[in-house]
Amino acid sequence: MTAAVVAALAAVLAAGAGAAEPAADRSHEGQAMDGMQMSAQGMVMNQNTDRLPQDCASISQDVAITVHAGRKYAAKYPGTMYAYDRGAWDVPPCSRVTVTLVNEDRVRHQWMLHGLPRYLYPEGMFHLEVSGPGEGSGTFIVPSAKKTYLVHCDVPQHAEKGMKAELTVAGGDGDLPSIPGVSAAIEPDAYRVRWDAATLIVAGAVGFLGAVFGFRALRR
Amino acid sequence: MKRILFVALVLVAALAAAPRRWVPGLLEPARAVLVGDAAYRSPPATLPIDLGTSEPPCANEHPEWRDAQVIEGVAIERSTVCEPDNPYLVAAVVKGTNNVSMETLMKSGLAPDAVVKTNDRDGDGDPDDVHIKLEVVELNGHSPDTPELIPRFPIAPGIEPGFWVFAPKSFGMATRSLEDLRANPLFRVPSPSIRVEQGDHVSVTLENTHYLPHTIHFHGVDHPYHFFLDTPDVKDARVGNDGVPETDEHTVMPGDSHTYEFTPRHAGTKFYHCHVQPQAHLLMGLQGMFVVEENRPDNWLETLNVGAGQVRHPSIAVREQYASEYDLHYMDLDKSLHELVQKVNDPRLIARAINRTYNITKRVATYFLLNGRSFPYTFRESLVVVKPDEKVKLRVLNGGMSLISLHPHGQAVTETDLDGIEVPPAARVTRDVVAIAAAQRVDLLLDTTNDGLHSYGDGVWLLHDHNEHAFTTDGVSPGGSISAIAYESYLDATGWPITHGIDWKPFFSPDYYRRKIPVWVAYDDLGMLGEAGPTSPAPRQVAARALLAGLLAGALASRFGRRRPRRLL
Repeated sequence: MTAAVVAALAAVLAAGAGAAEPAADRSHEGQAMDGMQMSAQGMVMNQNTDRLPQDCASISQDVAITVHAGRKYAAKYPGTMYAYDRGAWDVPPCSRVTVTLVNEDRVRHQWMLHGLPRYLYPEGMFHLEVSGPGEGSGTFIVPSAKKTYLVHCDVPQHAEKGMKAELTVAGGDGDLPSIPGVSAAIEPDAYRVRWDAATLIVAGAVGFLGAVFGFRALRR
Repeated sequence: MKRILFVALVLVAALAAAPRRWVPGLLEPARAVLVGDAAYRSPPATLPIDLGTSEPPCANEHPEWRDAQVIEGVAIERSTVCEPDNPYLVAAVVKGTNNVSMETLMKSGLAPDAVVKTNDRDGDGDPDDVHIKLEVVELNGHSPDTPELIPRFPIAPGIEPGFWVFAPKSFGMATRSLEDLRANPLFRVPSPSIRVEQGDHVSVTLENTHYLPHTIHFHGVDHPYHFFLDTPDVKDARVGNDGVPETDEHTVMPGDSHTYEFTPRHAGTKFYHCHVQPQAHLLMGLQGMFVVEENRPDNWLETLNVGAGQVRHPSIAVREQYASEYDLHYMDLDKSLHELVQKVNDPRLIARAINRTYNITKRVATYFLLNGRSFPYTFRESLVVVKPDEKVKLRVLNGGMSLISLHPHGQAVTETDLDGIEVPPAARVTRDVVAIAAAQRVDLLLDTTNDGLHSYGDGVWLLHDHNEHAFTTDGVSPGGSISAIAYESYLDATGWPITHGIDWKPFFSPDYYRRKIPVWVAYDDLGMLGEAGPTSPAPRQVAARALLAGLLAGALASRFGRRRPRRLL
């Protein structure tokens, strides 16, 4: 973490995102370090509202995304525990994206985006974090290239257990693995297999046809 | 004629082919001549030693953290070890994350609401309302997308069991960076030692960031069984406070939180742990030391001692009597439990493996930890560093299942408190093996006066559990929970002990703990105890065995083989 903080300090970026709700402890409310804005409610790192990527002449349009995060969104994907309400978002090239993360759990969640150009975003990251029930928002500008960006929550095991998604620019350049409702895992779990009659009949029939074909093809 | 020749050939070949012990003594000279093994053949040479990749003993990442320093007005004692605690973290937990600058908070890695200290109720100069927030973190966990474990927390070179720990509420990434997958320094074994003052209004919020249900049980800490709270739905709602799912409390489900509240009346060294399926959760790492300090004016405490070890800002009561203080948290693990979370991803499959497949009654303790590490990593952060003629306080917790017989070389220690309850001075025992059963705590006075009883003088004196399995890592020695009482004159500038024994290089190689490196190579100058190389087979014996096999195969084929091959299909 220290490294990430130091990297964040290195970048002098405007910080203007707001903490959503007032919290009991306001001692760090709205305090900003370079590249990072932290409040009792959460943090925004590497926000960028006006610096254009090298390949963009201007901001093409403003896009607002509201992301709901919580355990209840994982219920429809068996074998997960946390999820966002959507697994994928698509935005136009050179758009300015404002993400509002609504945390519906009573623990920390993040919306962390990877793969942005490092000359604008230290470590190529944009990071939004909401430390408990409530919401927070932040803004970044995407380059023009057709690309798929990884989005996840980096609280240990949250991404692995379902809180993972992708943000595509102009349709993206392929899906990332293990996104609930979007893509399969690279190393999926093995489950018990319950055979049903239809599968057995189909397998038996195909096997028999194969045997007949093999016998006929090789018979002299 | 052919048949006689055949039988003779079989007999000769059989004699040459037979292992020596099968051959009757009468025939032995003939066998030896045939095979030619009576002559001297050199046994295989010793293989050259390959230590694999051996890490440097001390990376010396933060030399500036060792000095005594004052941060945010908090005096932080010197820590001479290789990997000292982050002084900004110490300052943040002493002052409270609500009372320090943004810069200190950032350098600590803590969330702004991790340790909130307010309200000097008794007007004695220190805050008496303490609110601690703990999350649940998995270390060395599974990923469905890569075989790498994440985030990484090795206990010894190449050894990464899966853990669940309570961790202070933090922010940002779980790893040190995108490329460096070592765990965020706040995410580690053991769960942090917690320190509060007698009479403090303590709130501990468990924010369950994990994917399984958990609770906290405050073992030995004076707490009400339940308390009452007005909620939007119910007036005077009964809130469980003992952390036991079967009796007083629903478990805290993933994504949910629960706050425990108490005002401890008695000082002493206590324990806290998860009480959900404790045969697994407690041993997976959901356990920590809980210290209640005596009430004193202006007594600002190191509320969380992350990773246990030296207390860099001891309480006033401890400073009245001792030069320094150490939390020593021992654990033992059965590696087969800790592997279960690394094999599958689905929480239901993990729950099945942990709760129903794993059987603790067949447990074997394989790894032994002091403050979350095994030898040689214990020497990086868990040395007890002393000077002559001082008194040092050791708070020792056995969080494992095996009995500990703690033995300091070169010293005898005095048991001052048992399970957080003071032993009357006249009844105190001074000894050199201290027995500590599961969940017990013993406070020890280490007196470094060189009088032939309490101390034998300077040195790097081992401090170890004398149950010899704890001297090993999965049976490989030296490993386990070995540490040392190191006199300062025996430490170099990086905090590494100046030893006069064997070279430690093999112990910093993962191959050593994979049993690939012979034990005595590091100091066997003639290489006579290294790994014996392979031998080549005795050529005549191999030829005889091949000939015998061929003769018998031919004989069988001639008896049972068909003359004309039958057309297939």
